[in-house]
Amino acid sequence: MGTFYLEDEAVEFEPGETLLRAALRAGHEIPHYCFHPGLAVTAQCRQCLVEITDMGNGRGMPRLQASCSTPAAEGMRITQTSGMAVEGQKLVNEFLLVNHPLDCPICDQAGECELQNTAFRYGSGHSEMAYEKRVYGWRDVGSFIVLERNRCIQCSLCERFSRDIVGTHDFAAFLRSHELTFDTWTDSQIAHKFQGNLADICPVGSILNRDWRFKKRAWKLQKTNTICPGCSTGCNVTVEQHQNRVFRIKPRTNHEVNRWWMCDEGRLGYKILNNRRDRIVEPLARVKGQLRSAEWEAAEQAIAQRLEEIGAKGDAVIALTDTHATNEELYLLREFLSAGLESQTLYFPLDSGAQQEQPPRNLEDPFIYSLITTDKSPNTHGAEAAGLSGDRDASQVKAALKKKPRAVFVLGAPFADNKEVRDLAGKAELVVVIGAFPGEWRDVADVLLPGFTHAEKEGTWFNRNGRLQRIAPGLTPPEMARDQLTILASLLAAVRGENGKEGENKGIRSAREVFAEMAEAGGPCQGLSWEDVGEGGIEPGRVGRKQSA
Amino acid sequence: MAEEKLLLLKNIRQSGYAGDLAAYRKTGGYGAWKKVLDGMTPAEVIEQVKSSGLRGRGGAGFPCGLKWSFMPPPGDRPSYLVCNADESEPGTFKDHLIMMKDPHMMLEGMMIGCHAMHSHHGYIYIRGESPKAIRNVEKAIAELHKAKLLGKNIQGSGFDLEITVHPGAGAYICGEETAMLDSLEGKRGQPRFKPPFPAQSGFDACPTTVNNVETLANVPFILTEGPDAFAALGTENNNGTQAISLSGHVRNPGVYEVEMGHNLKGIIEDFGGGVRAGKQLKAVIPGGASSAILRPEDIDIPYDFESLAKADSMRGSGSIMIFDEDTSIVELANRTIRFFNHESCGQCTPCREGTFWLKNMIRQFKDGEGNPELLERVERAAGNLIGTTICAFGDAVGGPMQGFVRKFPEEFLKQSVG
Repeated sequence: MGTFYLEDEAVEFEPGETLLRAALRAGHEIPHYCFHPGLAVTAQCRQCLVEITDMGNGRGMPRLQASCSTPAAEGMRITQTSGMAVEGQKLVNEFLLVNHPLDCPICDQAGECELQNTAFRYGSGHSEMAYEKRVYGWRDVGSFIVLERNRCIQCSLCERFSRDIVGTHDFAAFLRSHELTFDTWTDSQIAHKFQGNLADICPVGSILNRDWRFKKRAWKLQKTNTICPGCSTGCNVTVEQHQNRVFRIKPRTNHEVNRWWMCDEGRLGYKILNNRRDRIVEPLARVKGQLRSAEWEAAEQAIAQRLEEIGAKGDAVIALTDTHATNEELYLLREFLSAGLESQTLYFPLDSGAQQEQPPRNLEDPFIYSLITTDKSPNTHGAEAAGLSGDRDASQVKAALKKKPRAVFVLGAPFADNKEVRDLAGKAELVVVIGAFPGEWRDVADVLLPGFTHAEKEGTWFNRNGRLQRIAPGLTPPEMARDQLTILASLLAAVRGENGKEGENKGIRSAREVFAEMAEAGGPCQGLSWEDVGEGGIEPGRVGRKQSA
Repeated sequence: MAEEKLLLLKNIRQSGYAGDLAAYRKTGGYGAWKKVLDGMTPAEVIEQVKSSGLRGRGGAGFPCGLKWSFMPPPGDRPSYLVCNADESEPGTFKDHLIMMKDPHMMLEGMMIGCHAMHSHHGYIYIRGESPKAIRNVEKAIAELHKAKLLGKNIQGSGFDLEITVHPGAGAYICGEETAMLDSLEGKRGQPRFKPPFPAQSGFDACPTTVNNVETLANVPFILTEGPDAFAALGTENNNGTQAISLSGHVRNPGVYEVEMGHNLKGIIEDFGGGVRAGKQLKAVIPGGASSAILRPEDIDIPYDFESLAKADSMRGSGSIMIFDEDTSIVELANRTIRFFNHESCGQCTPCREGTFWLKNMIRQFKDGEGNPELLERVERAAGNLIGTTICAFGDAVGGPMQGFVRKFPEEFLKQSVG
């Protein structure tokens, strides 16, 4: 570990680290386009030029140096605010604007564009480039992205990503000089499932997320740090919404989970969050074969009464849950079953969570391909860790249902693609489905209780490596929907006949409170606090879990 | 006419010199190579080249022996010597002459260099536009193989050496040493940032030295006649002779060999025979297209690296271009910037965008629509190319473009409105 000085401020660096990498890691800002911490350095955009006033030996460098390719040295002093350094940054910005179109008003990158920021800082507001710019037009290059080459600033990040991260070599450099363009081979479309990352790393609006294009100005978006529910990897993401409508999901850097990347399947997860058509937004109860809207109190009372009538207790009650449920929900579901109905019978669909995508041969670091697993739910590991019964092929569930339980409780939409399970469950006298998107469970449910989506609630999930991560609410749920934790606690109270007076607590606890109980009760969360989990999760070692493959 | 100082061209100037292996050997050729195989250690060879003061003739003038000494001792990675025979700088044609007429002098130097740097494989990167030179050098290498001067266990010395010719595909930038290495590896030719320098990580990420044809052709003389004999030629810090490519509006264009530090004006007048009949000298570009132009009153200076740098220009590859009074400097600037814009690899922003912008501005002058403000803008934009790019291409554009507008502002303003 050594130290150099940026504007007289000490910056620590690892041996061999470059000035820019160390400075960025320490939280300093140096404008740059062609540098990405996860990709090879090319030093070509020249925006990160700094003046080295002392190389560490008392002598300065006569010319500006690119901080992305200059190794840091002990005692080095650099500045980006000296006259020479500012001139350097200005001139690179001016050169970039020679051919970059000034179409920020219709460019989706506007508001989160480094070039725009630098131009705003250094630009003169008056162009001295009085000639025709080079024009290419846009190209349809992949299912998830579009390429607007006029805006390209030739940073080559897309080429390096295609070569070193996904290994598909989709992008290449064509032509040279001011005609240099990064483009795909004309007769092939990008086919891999990581295209969205190209839009993320593109420093300007040259590569754009097709779905996000022309939808919303970036600065209007409110971002919530949460976890992608799309599979058992649990990529760290931001859910980005405006007026309660989600416009995109983007990856959040976490070196322990997804590094800088995420898959396109996960990004498309924003669509379900805007889906109101398939969502239940108020309690529904089946009356003479028809689902009718109901009041919460009435629905809870009816469930309690019906359970009493049919004598559903112990083995006569089973519960099925999917593993989109948080650890806290699973905890309360178990509590409800055992404390309220003396039942321990609880199944969840278990998936091996194998890697879904196969990398091309000879790719040195195929990490990104490990991101998508076949297990499309985010908390399978949590259900396993809680000791619930996982069912790989629904055989145990079917066997249990064939014993004709009187009541079936369904949390989420487990075994959703298995009609036989639904039909068997439908034979029970009471089927209660709790969740936001019941899917075809709607057809067999006697009562549907509207819950929250993962983007509307707090909670924790274990990813496939046993890493404990937090989800956070970024959206306002429908008015009549209730947090699953509230639903489960209220049901327990109703079953116990503890309905009490209006406004009484009924044992309702927040996710944090339930988590604290879990941490005390032992098990995988033993001794952890909500803060321990943090926004980046907590590593498997600290949770005391063995790592699965 | 003044006498040439012949060292590099001594064989070529012999009438009837065939340039093949037999002819070269008859002049004592491969004597130095024999000396090396007979027991000179690599360190001794490098020491001799160092003390000769030989500087690179490709353009930068870096001391050759010092460059060789940067190569790490033999380890688990192979090391390479690459001969830069791309010679793509406009106005330069002296390497072509050596390759066409006396390729063995270069090859001998290269073989000695390989031995000194523990390299068992050398590459010669020859520009693709010179198919005759490629064929001639390949023929010379075949002769060496036949005579068992190349291959395995050469002359029982235990030293193995192969030399491969690699034709370029027509990019000026591939004359830049690291772009050349990328090209040699089969990639798009783009300069690499340094560090790491080629001696640490060059061809195939192995220690590599790149030397110009003329530089290597000097080496046999240094080893046979001794470094002192070489150092005795030229001036202080600029030892030996140089092969000058003289072109433009002179009576006798061609390649001439003179001592380093020979007077520039003298070269033009004594060897080139002065400006063509009845015309006045207007300007001189002293070191290839990437050197800044000089006015007639500036050329009474020694022709070496330092003196030309002092004159705000450079010796570069030793290519002197003469322009008489009929030349339009604006048109010259236009041709120059069009060339550089076309040849920029495009990776660095200042070069990619700057050459394009400058081309447009110069074009405006050419079309008679310039103005004094635009001239300042040209000078500023050109200045912004200097020292801001990965390779020296930025300097190679910025320097001459600044030179044109600084030395001949009246030419530009003459073609301006108002």
